[in-house]
Amino acid sequence: MSIEAASDTETAAATERPPLTERVDRRRIVLGLVGSLVFLAVWQAAAMAVGRTYLLPSPLAVAVAFGGELAKTETLALPLVGDVTGSKLLVKLLQSLMHYLPGLLIGTVLGIALGVAMGWSQTVEDLFTPVTRVLRPIPPLAWIAFAIVWIGIGHGGATFIVSIGAFWINFYNAYSGVEGVPQDLTEVAASLGVHDDWTMIRKVVIPSATPELMTGIRTSIGQCWMIVVAAELFGAPGVGYQIINASQNLDTEVSVVYMLVISLVFLASDTLFRRVERRVLAWRN
Amino acid sequence: MAELNGEDAADPSGADQNTDDRNAADHTVAVDGVTKVFEQQGGDSVEALADVSFTVDEGEFVCIVGPSGCGKTTLFRIIAGLEAATGGEVRLDGEPVTGPAMDRGMVFQEYGLFPWRTVLENVAFGLEQQDMDEQARRERAHEMIDLVGLDGFADAYPNELSGGMKQRVGIARALAVDPALLLMDEPFGSVDAQTRGMLHGELLDIWSETRKTVLFVTHDVEEAVTLADRVVVLSGGPGTVREVVDIDLDRPRERTDAAFADYQERILELIHES
Repeated sequence: MSIEAASDTETAAATERPPLTERVDRRRIVLGLVGSLVFLAVWQAAAMAVGRTYLLPSPLAVAVAFGGELAKTETLALPLVGDVTGSKLLVKLLQSLMHYLPGLLIGTVLGIALGVAMGWSQTVEDLFTPVTRVLRPIPPLAWIAFAIVWIGIGHGGATFIVSIGAFWINFYNAYSGVEGVPQDLTEVAASLGVHDDWTMIRKVVIPSATPELMTGIRTSIGQCWMIVVAAELFGAPGVGYQIINASQNLDTEVSVVYMLVISLVFLASDTLFRRVERRVLAWRN
Repeated sequence: MAELNGEDAADPSGADQNTDDRNAADHTVAVDGVTKVFEQQGGDSVEALADVSFTVDEGEFVCIVGPSGCGKTTLFRIIAGLEAATGGEVRLDGEPVTGPAMDRGMVFQEYGLFPWRTVLENVAFGLEQQDMDEQARRERAHEMIDLVGLDGFADAYPNELSGGMKQRVGIARALAVDPALLLMDEPFGSVDAQTRGMLHGELLDIWSETRKTVLFVTHDVEEAVTLADRVVVLSGGPGTVREVVDIDLDRPRERTDAAFADYQERILELIHES
Protein backbone atom coordinates (compact mmCIF):
# COMPACT_ATOMS: atom_id res chain seq x y z
CA MET A 1 0.00 0.00 0.00
CA SER A 2 1.41 3.37 -0.99
CA ILE A 3 1.89 6.38 1.25
CA GLU A 4 -0.68 8.34 -0.75
CA ALA A 5 -3.28 5.71 -0.11
CA ALA A 6 -2.47 5.83 3.59
CA SER A 7 -3.00 9.57 3.87
CA ASP A 8 -6.23 9.31 1.88
CA THR A 9 -7.58 6.90 4.45
CA GLU A 10 -6.63 9.35 7.18
CA THR A 11 -8.46 12.25 5.56
CA ALA A 12 -11.56 10.14 5.08
CA ALA A 13 -11.42 9.12 8.72
CA ALA A 14 -11.37 12.73 9.85
CA THR A 15 -14.33 13.84 7.77
CA GLU A 16 -16.76 11.00 7.20
CA ARG A 17 -15.92 8.46 9.89
CA PRO A 18 -16.69 5.20 8.05
CA PRO A 19 -16.81 1.92 10.03
CA LEU A 20 -13.82 1.11 12.22
CA THR A 21 -12.49 -1.63 9.94
CA GLU A 22 -12.11 0.79 7.05
CA ARG A 23 -10.85 3.64 9.17
CA VAL A 24 -7.66 2.04 10.47
CA ASP A 25 -4.86 1.41 8.11
CA ARG A 26 -3.72 -2.23 8.02
CA ARG A 27 -0.13 -1.32 7.29
CA ARG A 28 0.10 0.84 10.38
CA ILE A 29 -1.46 -1.85 12.56
CA VAL A 30 0.96 -4.49 11.35
CA LEU A 31 3.99 -2.24 11.82
CA GLY A 32 2.77 -1.15 15.26
CA LEU A 33 2.33 -4.77 16.29
CA VAL A 34 5.79 -5.70 15.02
CA GLY A 35 7.39 -2.81 16.91
CA SER A 36 5.59 -3.71 20.12
CA LEU A 37 6.54 -7.39 19.88
CA VAL A 38 10.19 -6.50 19.28
CA PHE A 39 10.10 -4.20 22.31
CA LEU A 40 8.58 -6.93 24.50
CA ALA A 41 11.08 -9.51 23.23
CA VAL A 42 14.07 -7.25 23.96
CA TRP A 43 12.64 -6.48 27.40
CA GLN A 44 12.05 -10.18 28.15
CA ALA A 45 15.57 -11.08 26.96
CA ALA A 46 17.12 -8.30 29.01
CA ALA A 47 15.17 -9.35 32.10
CA MET A 48 16.30 -12.96 31.66
CA ALA A 49 19.88 -11.79 31.23
CA VAL A 50 19.71 -9.67 34.39
CA GLY A 51 18.01 -12.50 36.20
CA ARG A 52 16.75 -10.52 39.19
CA THR A 53 13.11 -9.38 39.15
CA TYR A 54 13.69 -6.47 41.54
CA LEU A 55 16.31 -5.01 39.16
CA LEU A 56 14.34 -5.54 35.96
CA PRO A 57 11.02 -7.43 36.12
CA SER A 58 10.17 -9.30 32.92
CA PRO A 59 6.97 -8.46 31.00
CA LEU A 60 5.66 -11.83 32.09
CA ALA A 61 6.30 -11.02 35.76
CA VAL A 62 4.52 -7.68 35.29
CA ALA A 63 1.53 -9.41 33.70
CA VAL A 64 1.32 -11.83 36.62
CA ALA A 65 1.59 -8.96 39.10
CA PHE A 66 -1.13 -7.07 37.19
CA GLY A 67 -3.47 -10.02 37.63
CA GLY A 68 -2.51 -10.22 41.30
CA GLU A 69 -3.21 -6.55 42.02
CA LEU A 70 -6.51 -6.81 40.17
CA ALA A 71 -7.50 -9.91 42.16
CA LYS A 72 -6.64 -8.55 45.63
CA THR A 73 -9.50 -6.77 47.34
CA GLU A 74 -9.33 -3.75 49.52
CA THR A 75 -11.90 -1.71 51.39
CA LEU A 76 -12.05 2.01 51.11
CA ALA A 77 -14.03 4.25 53.45
CA LEU A 78 -15.70 6.94 51.37
CA PRO A 79 -17.40 10.00 52.77
CA LEU A 80 -21.20 9.85 52.35
CA VAL A 81 -21.14 6.52 50.50
CA GLY A 82 -19.56 4.46 53.31
CA ASP A 83 -17.29 1.46 52.83
CA VAL A 84 -16.55 0.31 49.32
CA THR A 85 -14.82 -3.01 48.69
CA GLY A 86 -13.23 -3.80 45.38
CA SER A 87 -10.13 -4.77 43.45
CA LYS A 88 -7.03 -3.24 45.01
CA LEU A 89 -5.89 -1.83 41.68
CA LEU A 90 -9.20 -0.08 41.12
CA VAL A 91 -9.36 1.16 44.73
CA LYS A 92 -5.91 2.75 44.35
CA LEU A 93 -6.99 4.33 41.09
CA LEU A 94 -10.14 5.64 42.76
CA GLN A 95 -8.00 7.14 45.54
CA SER A 96 -5.85 8.96 43.01
CA LEU A 97 -8.96 10.21 41.19
CA MET A 98 -10.22 11.60 44.49
CA HIS A 99 -7.59 14.31 44.36
CA TYR A 100 -6.84 14.29 40.63
CA LEU A 101 -10.37 15.22 39.55
CA PRO A 102 -11.14 17.97 42.10
CA GLY A 103 -7.65 19.44 41.64
CA LEU A 104 -8.00 19.45 37.87
CA LEU A 105 -11.47 20.99 38.07
CA ILE A 106 -10.61 23.72 40.59
CA GLY A 107 -7.34 24.64 38.89
CA THR A 108 -8.92 24.70 35.43
CA VAL A 109 -11.86 26.90 36.43
CA LEU A 110 -9.74 29.39 38.39
CA GLY A 111 -6.95 29.41 35.79
CA ILE A 112 -9.34 30.12 32.93
CA ALA A 113 -11.11 32.78 34.99
CA LEU A 114 -7.91 34.70 35.78
CA GLY A 115 -6.49 34.14 32.28
CA VAL A 116 -9.62 35.55 30.61
CA ALA A 117 -9.79 38.47 33.04
CA MET A 118 -6.14 39.38 32.49
CA GLY A 119 -6.33 38.89 28.74
CA TRP A 120 -9.42 41.05 28.45
CA SER A 121 -9.00 43.85 30.97
CA GLN A 122 -5.97 46.12 30.85
CA THR A 123 -6.55 47.03 34.50
CA VAL A 124 -6.59 43.42 35.70
CA GLU A 125 -3.53 42.74 33.54
CA ASP A 126 -1.60 45.64 35.04
CA LEU A 127 -2.68 44.59 38.54
CA PHE A 128 -1.60 40.98 38.37
CA THR A 129 1.21 40.80 35.84
CA PRO A 130 4.04 41.23 38.39
CA VAL A 131 2.56 38.67 40.80
CA THR A 132 1.89 36.07 38.11
CA ARG A 133 5.36 36.58 36.60
CA VAL A 134 6.98 35.73 39.93
CA LEU A 135 4.68 32.86 40.94
CA ARG A 136 4.34 31.08 37.60
CA PRO A 137 7.86 29.58 37.38
CA ILE A 138 7.47 27.86 40.78
CA PRO A 139 6.90 24.14 40.18
CA PRO A 140 3.56 23.03 41.66
CA LEU A 141 5.26 20.49 43.91
CA ALA A 142 7.25 23.24 45.60
CA TRP A 143 3.98 24.30 47.24
CA ILE A 144 4.08 21.06 49.24
CA ALA A 145 5.22 23.05 52.26
CA PHE A 146 1.92 24.92 52.38
CA ALA A 147 -0.03 21.80 51.54
CA ILE A 148 1.49 20.16 54.63
CA VAL A 149 1.04 23.02 57.11
CA TRP A 150 -2.37 24.14 55.89
CA ILE A 151 -4.14 20.99 54.89
CA GLY A 152 -1.93 18.03 55.67
CA ILE A 153 -0.72 15.42 53.25
CA GLY A 154 -3.76 13.48 52.10
CA HIS A 155 -6.46 14.07 49.54
CA GLY A 156 -6.72 17.74 50.53
CA GLY A 157 -3.01 18.48 50.19
CA ALA A 158 -2.70 16.54 46.95
CA THR A 159 -5.79 18.31 45.53
CA PHE A 160 -4.11 21.62 46.38
CA ILE A 161 -0.90 20.70 44.54
CA VAL A 162 -2.73 19.31 41.50
CA SER A 163 -4.93 22.40 41.28
CA ILE A 164 -1.86 24.65 41.22
CA GLY A 165 -0.51 22.66 38.29
CA ALA A 166 -3.81 22.84 36.39
CA PHE A 167 -4.17 26.53 37.29
CA TRP A 168 -1.00 27.75 35.57
CA ILE A 169 -1.44 25.66 32.45
CA ASN A 170 -5.00 26.88 31.94
CA PHE A 171 -4.18 30.40 33.01
CA TYR A 172 -1.48 30.71 30.41
CA ASN A 173 -3.53 29.23 27.57
CA ALA A 174 -6.61 31.29 28.37
CA TYR A 175 -4.53 34.46 28.67
CA SER A 176 -2.83 34.06 25.29
CA GLY A 177 -6.08 32.85 23.71
CA VAL A 178 -7.93 35.98 24.80
CA GLU A 179 -5.04 38.25 23.81
CA GLY A 180 -5.29 36.69 20.35
CA VAL A 181 -8.99 37.42 19.81
CA PRO A 182 -9.05 39.37 16.52
CA GLN A 183 -9.95 43.03 16.98
CA ASP A 184 -12.26 42.81 13.95
CA LEU A 185 -14.52 40.47 15.88
CA THR A 186 -14.94 42.65 18.96
CA GLU A 187 -15.49 45.69 16.74
CA VAL A 188 -18.11 43.93 14.65
CA ALA A 189 -19.83 42.77 17.84
CA ALA A 190 -19.81 46.34 19.18
CA SER A 191 -21.37 47.59 15.96
CA LEU A 192 -24.03 44.88 16.34
CA GLY A 193 -25.11 46.05 19.76
CA VAL A 194 -22.74 44.40 22.25
CA HIS A 195 -21.91 47.19 24.66
CA ASP A 196 -20.98 45.48 27.93
CA ASP A 197 -17.92 43.46 28.88
CA TRP A 198 -19.80 40.42 30.11
CA THR A 199 -21.78 39.91 26.88
CA MET A 200 -18.60 40.49 24.87
CA ILE A 201 -16.71 37.88 26.90
CA ARG A 202 -19.54 35.37 26.70
CA LYS A 203 -20.42 35.80 23.03
CA VAL A 204 -17.12 36.69 21.39
CA VAL A 205 -14.04 36.32 23.60
CA ILE A 206 -14.61 32.84 25.03
CA PRO A 207 -15.82 31.25 21.78
CA SER A 208 -12.95 32.81 19.88
CA ALA A 209 -10.41 31.58 22.44
CA THR A 210 -11.93 28.08 22.64
CA PRO A 211 -9.13 26.36 20.68
CA GLU A 212 -6.56 27.66 23.19
CA LEU A 213 -8.81 26.86 26.16
CA MET A 214 -9.16 23.29 24.86
CA THR A 215 -5.40 22.96 24.46
CA GLY A 216 -4.97 24.14 28.05
CA ILE A 217 -7.44 21.61 29.41
CA ARG A 218 -5.94 18.76 27.39
CA THR A 219 -2.41 19.65 28.48
CA SER A 220 -3.44 19.81 32.11
CA ILE A 221 -5.21 16.44 31.90
CA GLY A 222 -1.80 14.92 31.16
CA GLN A 223 0.39 17.11 33.34
CA CYS A 224 -1.81 16.62 36.37
CA TRP A 225 -1.14 12.87 36.34
CA MET A 226 2.55 13.65 36.75
CA ILE A 227 1.74 15.95 39.62
CA VAL A 228 -0.50 13.29 41.18
CA VAL A 229 2.35 10.80 41.24
CA ALA A 230 4.75 13.39 42.64
CA ALA A 231 2.29 14.46 45.35
CA GLU A 232 1.64 10.85 46.33
CA LEU A 233 5.36 10.23 46.79
CA PHE A 234 4.93 12.41 49.87
CA GLY A 235 2.30 10.03 51.22
CA ALA A 236 -1.08 10.84 49.73
CA PRO A 237 -2.86 7.55 48.99
CA GLY A 238 -3.23 6.33 45.42
CA VAL A 239 -1.48 4.88 42.41
CA GLY A 240 1.67 6.98 42.80
CA TYR A 241 2.06 5.95 46.41
CA GLN A 242 1.85 2.29 45.33
CA ILE A 243 4.75 2.85 42.91
CA ILE A 244 7.07 4.09 45.66
CA ASN A 245 5.73 1.67 48.26
CA ALA A 246 6.21 -1.40 46.06
CA SER A 247 9.66 -0.24 45.12
CA GLN A 248 10.66 0.08 48.77
CA ASN A 249 9.57 -3.55 49.25
CA LEU A 250 11.61 -4.43 46.13
CA ASP A 251 8.37 -5.53 44.41
CA THR A 252 9.49 -3.71 41.28
CA GLU A 253 7.02 -5.59 39.09
CA VAL A 254 4.17 -4.10 41.14
CA SER A 255 5.65 -0.63 40.61
CA VAL A 256 5.55 -1.27 36.86
CA VAL A 257 1.90 -2.38 37.15
CA TYR A 258 0.94 1.00 38.63
CA MET A 259 3.10 2.85 36.12
CA LEU A 260 1.06 1.12 33.43
CA VAL A 261 -2.18 2.02 35.20
CA ILE A 262 -1.27 5.71 34.93
CA SER A 263 -0.42 5.29 31.29
CA LEU A 264 -3.73 3.54 30.54
CA VAL A 265 -5.81 6.07 32.41
CA PHE A 266 -4.01 8.90 30.66
CA LEU A 267 -4.55 7.33 27.24
CA ALA A 268 -8.23 6.77 27.96
CA SER A 269 -8.85 10.30 29.23
CA ASP A 270 -6.82 11.90 26.44
CA THR A 271 -8.70 9.93 23.77
CA LEU A 272 -12.00 10.87 25.34
CA PHE A 273 -11.06 14.53 25.53
CA ARG A 274 -9.79 14.63 21.95
CA ARG A 275 -13.21 13.40 20.91
CA VAL A 276 -14.89 16.16 22.92
CA GLU A 277 -12.45 18.69 21.45
CA ARG A 278 -13.16 17.58 17.90
CA ARG A 279 -16.87 18.00 18.45
CA VAL A 280 -16.56 21.42 20.13
CA LEU A 281 -14.20 22.69 17.45
CA ALA A 282 -16.08 21.20 14.49
CA TRP A 283 -16.23 24.67 12.92
CA ARG A 284 -12.47 24.65 12.30
CA ASN A 285 -12.46 21.85 9.72
CA MET B 1 -13.24 48.97 26.74
CA ALA B 2 -14.84 52.27 27.66
CA GLU B 3 -15.39 53.17 24.03
CA LEU B 4 -17.89 50.36 23.63
CA ASN B 5 -20.50 52.31 25.53
CA GLY B 6 -23.19 52.83 22.92
CA GLU B 7 -25.06 55.89 21.99
CA ASP B 8 -27.86 55.90 24.44
CA ALA B 9 -27.23 59.54 25.24
CA ALA B 10 -29.56 60.71 22.46
CA ASP B 11 -31.36 63.89 23.42
CA PRO B 12 -35.02 63.43 22.51
CA SER B 13 -35.84 67.13 22.66
CA GLY B 14 -33.15 68.39 20.27
CA ALA B 15 -33.97 67.65 16.66
CA ASP B 16 -37.39 69.25 16.33
CA GLN B 17 -36.81 72.48 18.24
CA ASN B 18 -33.55 73.72 16.85
CA THR B 19 -33.38 74.75 13.20
CA ASP B 20 -29.66 73.97 12.98
CA ASP B 21 -30.34 70.44 14.10
CA ARG B 22 -33.12 70.14 11.56
CA ASN B 23 -30.71 71.02 8.80
CA ALA B 24 -28.19 68.58 10.14
CA ALA B 25 -30.82 65.88 10.27
CA ASP B 26 -31.53 66.34 6.57
CA HIS B 27 -28.31 64.49 5.87
CA THR B 28 -27.97 60.88 6.92
CA VAL B 29 -24.26 61.40 7.52
CA ALA B 30 -22.55 64.71 8.17
CA VAL B 31 -18.78 64.63 8.52
CA ASP B 32 -18.07 68.08 9.91
CA GLY B 33 -14.52 69.45 10.14
CA VAL B 34 -13.03 66.15 11.30
CA THR B 35 -9.34 66.21 12.19
CA LYS B 36 -7.28 63.39 13.62
CA VAL B 37 -3.86 63.72 15.16
CA PHE B 38 -1.96 60.67 16.32
CA GLU B 39 0.42 61.32 19.20
CA GLN B 40 3.56 59.30 18.80
CA GLN B 41 6.16 58.17 21.25
CA GLY B 42 8.70 60.89 21.94
CA GLY B 43 6.18 63.71 21.67
CA ASP B 44 5.92 63.85 17.87
CA SER B 45 2.47 63.95 16.39
CA VAL B 46 1.19 62.98 12.95
CA GLU B 47 -1.82 64.66 11.43
CA ALA B 48 -3.82 61.96 9.62
CA LEU B 49 -6.93 63.96 8.76
CA ALA B 50 -7.26 67.73 8.45
CA ASP B 51 -10.67 69.40 8.42
CA VAL B 52 -12.54 66.71 6.48
CA SER B 53 -16.13 67.66 5.69
CA PHE B 54 -18.77 66.11 3.44
CA THR B 55 -22.32 64.83 3.71
CA VAL B 56 -24.20 61.76 2.57
CA ASP B 57 -27.93 61.90 1.97
CA GLU B 58 -30.45 59.20 2.65
CA GLY B 59 -30.35 56.39 0.10
CA GLU B 60 -27.15 57.63 -1.48
CA PHE B 61 -24.21 55.46 -2.46
CA VAL B 62 -21.01 57.37 -1.71
CA CYS B 63 -17.47 56.11 -2.20
CA ILE B 64 -14.40 57.50 -0.50
CA VAL B 65 -11.25 57.06 -2.59
CA GLY B 66 -7.71 58.17 -2.05
CA PRO B 67 -4.12 57.00 -2.18
CA SER B 68 -2.93 54.60 0.47
CA GLY B 69 -1.94 56.40 3.63
CA CYS B 70 -4.43 59.24 3.03
CA GLY B 71 -6.39 58.39 6.17
CA LYS B 72 -9.31 56.54 4.52
CA THR B 73 -9.33 53.83 7.13
CA THR B 74 -8.95 56.34 9.96
CA LEU B 75 -11.93 58.23 8.59
CA PHE B 76 -13.92 54.98 8.32
CA ARG B 77 -13.10 54.13 11.94
CA ILE B 78 -14.14 57.59 13.14
CA ILE B 79 -17.47 57.37 11.29
CA ALA B 80 -17.96 53.86 12.68
CA GLY B 81 -17.31 55.21 16.18
CA LEU B 82 -14.33 52.90 16.71
CA GLU B 83 -12.02 55.87 17.11
CA ALA B 84 -12.57 59.40 18.38
CA ALA B 85 -11.83 62.43 16.20
CA THR B 86 -9.32 64.94 17.56
CA GLY B 87 -11.51 67.78 16.31
CA GLY B 88 -14.84 68.17 14.55
CA GLU B 89 -17.61 65.60 14.65
CA VAL B 90 -19.58 63.05 12.70
CA ARG B 91 -23.36 63.19 12.92
CA LEU B 92 -25.73 60.44 11.96
CA ASP B 93 -29.27 61.70 11.39
CA GLY B 94 -28.26 64.78 13.34
CA GLU B 95 -26.91 62.90 16.37
CA PRO B 96 -23.18 63.03 17.11
CA VAL B 97 -21.44 59.66 16.85
CA THR B 98 -19.84 58.65 20.16
CA GLY B 99 -19.22 54.94 19.70
CA PRO B 100 -20.06 51.93 17.57
CA ALA B 101 -23.77 51.09 17.47
CA MET B 102 -26.36 49.21 15.46
CA ASP B 103 -27.30 52.22 13.36
CA ARG B 104 -24.09 51.73 11.35
CA GLY B 105 -23.59 48.26 9.91
CA MET B 106 -19.92 47.55 9.27
CA VAL B 107 -18.41 45.36 6.55
CA PHE B 108 -14.66 44.73 6.70
CA GLN B 109 -12.13 43.66 4.09
CA GLU B 110 -11.24 40.57 6.10
CA TYR B 111 -14.95 39.77 6.65
CA GLY B 112 -14.82 39.69 10.48
CA LEU B 113 -17.11 36.65 10.57
CA PHE B 114 -17.43 34.64 13.78
CA PRO B 115 -15.82 31.35 12.67
CA TRP B 116 -17.57 29.29 15.39
CA ARG B 117 -21.00 30.38 14.20
CA THR B 118 -22.81 29.08 11.13
CA VAL B 119 -23.93 31.46 8.41
CA LEU B 120 -27.35 31.66 10.03
CA GLU B 121 -25.90 32.30 13.49
CA ASN B 122 -23.55 34.95 12.13
CA VAL B 123 -26.39 36.78 10.44
CA ALA B 124 -28.54 36.51 13.58
CA PHE B 125 -25.80 37.86 15.90
CA GLY B 126 -27.04 41.46 15.95
CA LEU B 127 -30.65 40.31 16.26
CA GLU B 128 -29.74 38.46 19.47
CA GLN B 129 -28.88 41.80 21.09
CA GLN B 130 -32.40 43.02 20.34
CA ASP B 131 -35.67 42.01 21.89
CA MET B 132 -36.67 39.43 19.35
CA ASP B 133 -37.89 35.88 19.86
CA GLU B 134 -36.01 33.05 18.26
CA GLN B 135 -38.61 32.35 15.59
CA ALA B 136 -38.61 35.94 14.35
CA ARG B 137 -34.82 35.98 14.50
CA ARG B 138 -34.53 32.91 12.30
CA GLU B 139 -37.02 34.28 9.82
CA ARG B 140 -35.22 37.61 9.57
CA ALA B 141 -31.82 35.90 9.23
CA HIS B 142 -33.12 33.59 6.48
CA GLU B 143 -34.60 36.59 4.69
CA MET B 144 -31.17 38.29 4.70
CA ILE B 145 -29.41 35.10 3.59
CA ASP B 146 -31.80 34.87 0.64
CA LEU B 147 -31.22 38.55 -0.13
CA VAL B 148 -27.47 38.01 -0.58
CA GLY B 149 -28.04 34.80 -2.54
CA LEU B 150 -26.75 32.30 0.00
CA ASP B 151 -29.88 30.18 0.37
CA GLY B 152 -28.82 26.62 1.07
CA PHE B 153 -25.73 27.69 3.03
CA ALA B 154 -27.45 28.70 6.26
CA ASP B 155 -25.85 25.85 8.22
CA ALA B 156 -22.36 26.12 6.72
CA TYR B 157 -19.44 27.44 8.78
CA PRO B 158 -17.40 30.38 7.40
CA ASN B 159 -14.40 28.08 6.85
CA GLU B 160 -16.41 26.17 4.27
CA LEU B 161 -17.13 29.29 2.18
CA SER B 162 -15.19 31.12 -0.54
CA GLY B 163 -14.09 34.73 -0.02
CA GLY B 164 -16.97 36.10 -2.04
CA MET B 165 -19.49 34.04 -0.08
CA LYS B 166 -17.96 35.13 3.22
CA GLN B 167 -18.36 38.75 2.29
CA ARG B 168 -22.00 38.15 1.39
CA VAL B 169 -22.48 36.78 4.90
CA GLY B 170 -20.81 39.95 6.22
CA ILE B 171 -23.24 42.11 4.25
CA ALA B 172 -26.27 40.05 5.33
CA ARG B 173 -25.18 40.29 8.97
CA ALA B 174 -24.75 44.06 8.78
CA LEU B 175 -28.13 44.52 7.06
CA ALA B 176 -30.04 42.22 9.41
CA VAL B 177 -30.34 44.84 12.16
CA ASP B 178 -31.60 47.37 9.60
CA PRO B 179 -28.95 50.06 10.11
CA ALA B 180 -29.39 53.63 8.85
CA LEU B 181 -25.99 53.38 7.17
CA LEU B 182 -23.96 50.57 5.64
CA LEU B 183 -20.26 51.28 6.17
CA MET B 184 -17.90 49.23 4.02
CA ASP B 185 -14.10 49.31 4.25
CA GLU B 186 -12.55 47.85 1.08
CA PRO B 187 -15.03 44.98 1.33
CA PHE B 188 -13.99 43.32 -1.92
CA GLY B 189 -10.25 43.86 -1.54
CA SER B 190 -9.62 40.20 -0.72
CA VAL B 191 -11.58 38.55 -3.53
CA ASP B 192 -10.46 37.88 -7.10
CA ALA B 193 -11.33 40.31 -9.88
CA GLN B 194 -14.02 38.13 -11.43
CA THR B 195 -15.84 37.62 -8.13
CA ARG B 196 -15.47 41.33 -7.38
CA GLY B 197 -17.28 42.25 -10.59
CA MET B 198 -20.12 39.90 -9.69
CA LEU B 199 -20.32 41.22 -6.13
CA HIS B 200 -20.52 44.81 -7.44
CA GLY B 201 -23.64 43.86 -9.37
CA GLU B 202 -25.13 42.10 -6.37
CA LEU B 203 -24.34 44.95 -4.00
CA LEU B 204 -26.07 47.41 -6.34
CA ASP B 205 -29.08 45.08 -6.53
CA ILE B 206 -29.23 44.86 -2.74
CA TRP B 207 -28.83 48.61 -2.49
CA SER B 208 -31.69 49.32 -4.89
CA GLU B 209 -33.85 46.74 -3.13
CA THR B 210 -33.22 48.01 0.42
CA ARG B 211 -32.57 51.70 -0.40
CA LYS B 212 -29.86 51.77 2.25
CA THR B 213 -27.42 54.64 2.53
CA VAL B 214 -23.99 53.25 1.71
CA LEU B 215 -20.56 54.68 2.49
CA PHE B 216 -17.91 52.62 0.76
CA VAL B 217 -14.16 53.08 1.25
CA THR B 218 -11.82 51.91 -1.52
CA HIS B 219 -8.47 52.68 -3.12
CA ASP B 220 -9.76 51.39 -6.47
CA VAL B 221 -10.99 54.28 -8.64
CA GLU B 222 -12.66 51.95 -11.13
CA GLU B 223 -14.63 50.34 -8.31
CA ALA B 224 -15.72 53.77 -7.06
CA VAL B 225 -16.90 54.89 -10.51
CA THR B 226 -18.73 51.57 -10.98
CA LEU B 227 -20.69 51.91 -7.76
CA ALA B 228 -21.08 55.45 -6.49
CA ASP B 229 -23.55 58.29 -6.90
CA ARG B 230 -20.81 60.54 -5.63
CA VAL B 231 -17.09 59.99 -5.02
CA VAL B 232 -15.31 61.78 -2.18
CA VAL B 233 -11.71 62.14 -3.36
CA LEU B 234 -9.23 62.38 -0.50
CA SER B 235 -5.67 63.58 -0.90
CA GLY B 236 -3.00 62.45 1.47
CA GLY B 237 -0.64 63.79 4.09
CA PRO B 238 -2.78 64.92 5.98
CA GLY B 239 -6.00 63.62 4.45
CA THR B 240 -8.30 66.35 3.16
CA VAL B 241 -11.25 66.31 0.78
CA ARG B 242 -9.81 67.16 -2.62
CA GLU B 243 -13.15 67.22 -4.38
CA VAL B 244 -16.50 65.49 -4.37
CA VAL B 245 -17.28 64.16 -7.86
CA ASP B 246 -20.86 63.43 -8.92
CA ILE B 247 -21.01 60.36 -11.13
CA ASP B 248 -23.81 61.08 -13.55
CA LEU B 249 -24.03 57.72 -15.32
CA ASP B 250 -26.90 55.29 -15.64
CA ARG B 251 -26.52 51.88 -14.06
CA PRO B 252 -25.40 49.29 -14.90
CA ARG B 253 -22.25 51.09 -15.94
CA GLU B 254 -19.88 49.84 -18.60
CA ARG B 255 -16.17 50.23 -18.04
CA THR B 256 -15.69 50.49 -21.78
CA ASP B 257 -17.96 53.54 -21.90
CA ALA B 258 -16.13 56.77 -22.85
CA ALA B 259 -17.84 58.74 -20.07
CA PHE B 260 -16.82 56.06 -17.53
CA ALA B 261 -13.22 56.42 -18.60
CA ASP B 262 -13.47 60.22 -18.35
CA TYR B 263 -14.62 60.03 -14.72
CA GLN B 264 -11.90 57.55 -13.93
CA GLU B 265 -9.25 59.74 -15.47
CA ARG B 266 -10.50 62.85 -13.73
CA ILE B 267 -10.45 61.21 -10.31
CA LEU B 268 -7.00 59.73 -10.90
CA GLU B 269 -5.76 63.20 -11.84
CA LEU B 270 -7.22 64.67 -8.66
CA ILE B 271 -5.43 62.00 -6.63
CA HIS B 272 -2.10 62.47 -8.41
CA GLU B 273 -2.17 66.25 -8.29
CA SER B 274 -2.10 66.20 -4.53
